[in-house]
Amino acid sequence: MNIPNVFYRKNRILLKELTKTDFKLRYQGSVLGYLWALLRPLMMFAILYVVFAKLLRFGGDIPHYPVYLLAGTTLWSFFTECTSQGIQAMLMRGELIRKISFPKYIVVASTTFTALINLGINLVVVVIFALLNGVTPSLSWLLVPVFVLELYLLALGISFLFGAINVKYRDIASIWDVLIQALFYAVPIIYPITMVASTSQIAAKILLLNPVAQIIQDVRYNLITPETITTWNYLNNPIVMVVPILIVIGVLIAGAAYFRKKSKFFAEEV
Amino acid sequence: MKARAIGERRVVFEPNYENAVEVKDLHKSFRLPTERSWGLKQAIFNRLRGVKGYKEQKVLKGLNFQIKRGEFVGIVGRNGSGKSTLLKILAGIYYPSKGEILINGNLVPFIELGVGFNPDLTGRENVYLNGALLGFSNKEMDAMYDDIWEFAELKEFQDQKLKNYSSGMQVRLAFSIAIRAKGEILVLDEVLAVGDAAFQQKCNDYFATLKKNGQTIILVTHSMESVKKFCTRAIMIEGGKIVHDGDPKEVSEKYLELFK
Repeated sequence: MNIPNVFYRKNRILLKELTKTDFKLRYQGSVLGYLWALLRPLMMFAILYVVFAKLLRFGGDIPHYPVYLLAGTTLWSFFTECTSQGIQAMLMRGELIRKISFPKYIVVASTTFTALINLGINLVVVVIFALLNGVTPSLSWLLVPVFVLELYLLALGISFLFGAINVKYRDIASIWDVLIQALFYAVPIIYPITMVASTSQIAAKILLLNPVAQIIQDVRYNLITPETITTWNYLNNPIVMVVPILIVIGVLIAGAAYFRKKSKFFAEEV
Repeated sequence: MKARAIGERRVVFEPNYENAVEVKDLHKSFRLPTERSWGLKQAIFNRLRGVKGYKEQKVLKGLNFQIKRGEFVGIVGRNGSGKSTLLKILAGIYYPSKGEILINGNLVPFIELGVGFNPDLTGRENVYLNGALLGFSNKEMDAMYDDIWEFAELKEFQDQKLKNYSSGMQVRLAFSIAIRAKGEILVLDEVLAVGDAAFQQKCNDYFATLKKNGQTIILVTHSMESVKKFCTRAIMIEGGKIVHDGDPKEVSEKYLELFK
């Protein structure tokens, strides 16, 4: 069995062109165009900020809470967009799959890259907000891309795994939509993890085993304030600590392997 | 569910080897769902009941043939005989259920014109996208760009959205891009069947050039006229098996007898 070569020239050309097309098409026909890539997460942030920071006063004594919240919602928006579109990617590109022979992972890669580009733009906004809010730039900012990569790999693994099942059983996309809604409340985005920790330390520790929670807390820690609870400074068992990393690696490997096996039949089933 | 058996398709690049395509004992069957709904719920029910939930439909039943370099082979047969399935397997879109396929060289399939054309993009954007599907980089497309529009005779429409093109215009543009593809083996599925007389003429000229250049071509068609005119050999498929293989004239007569 030969490993599909990402650097094979033809595949690279196709990946680039499909990503470009995806990006162009997403905001076609809207007046504000690409601006929506920025406006949507900002508006979601505005709603959450008014409800949770102003009305319910969830922020407590967390420094730079608005930016803290924005970083969380931005990463979450990316995770939702990336997975739900990644899972649907094969159906969206069904015509190509039925009529052209090419490595199918390109379809998932191009869709998730589009989401990644959007995240890149949005993170620039987060940084600007952070500076406006008086966060001092530090070397630890350089660690943020590492956690973004971790989140991307998790989203990619999920897209491969559920996307491959979704070709045959279209229920998966709907199930994932509901699941991700539930997951939103299991990740400390709108509420600070300190709120959970003050009631039950065990519950907080369990929440921090979720790779998405681990990543969001790590980005907050490195970007905004070291007064953030992370998987690394809150869990004391080094074996338990690596659980989030293992989940990401496990999902990615399982997803890629399953996708690879099933992709031979996508042309017949899509 | 039992794992599906899979045949093998290999691509090699051996310019000195005389065969361009080798097909050995090729079988292909599809799984057609027997139940009306085929969602997750049905899959779980089927498994609980021990029902397969699909029917095995055998489309190709043991094909054997070899195509030498430079041959222009016509594949004929009535609708549903398995021609297009064979083509898609040669092109690597479907996997064979059983058997072996050897492709020697770069195989370029034309299963349909304008695959991947997007109505919301302009003609210009579609040309680059379609070119990428054929493996051309933006830079290579830049070099061919003017020729493509010249040949399609649509230059003044290049910045219009594709949805404002007539279907004939779309086919002309697609054809104009498709013929830029370079490969040792070309696989064509009835692309001739569309377009007006002028377009047909262009297609015919293109085939004549290909034939003169000694390219290996596999053409699936219902037009016995094209078979007799271009092909050096014809293969007739009936019920998933090869029933005739040889001289284009004889095979096209056998084909016409099918409908008497």
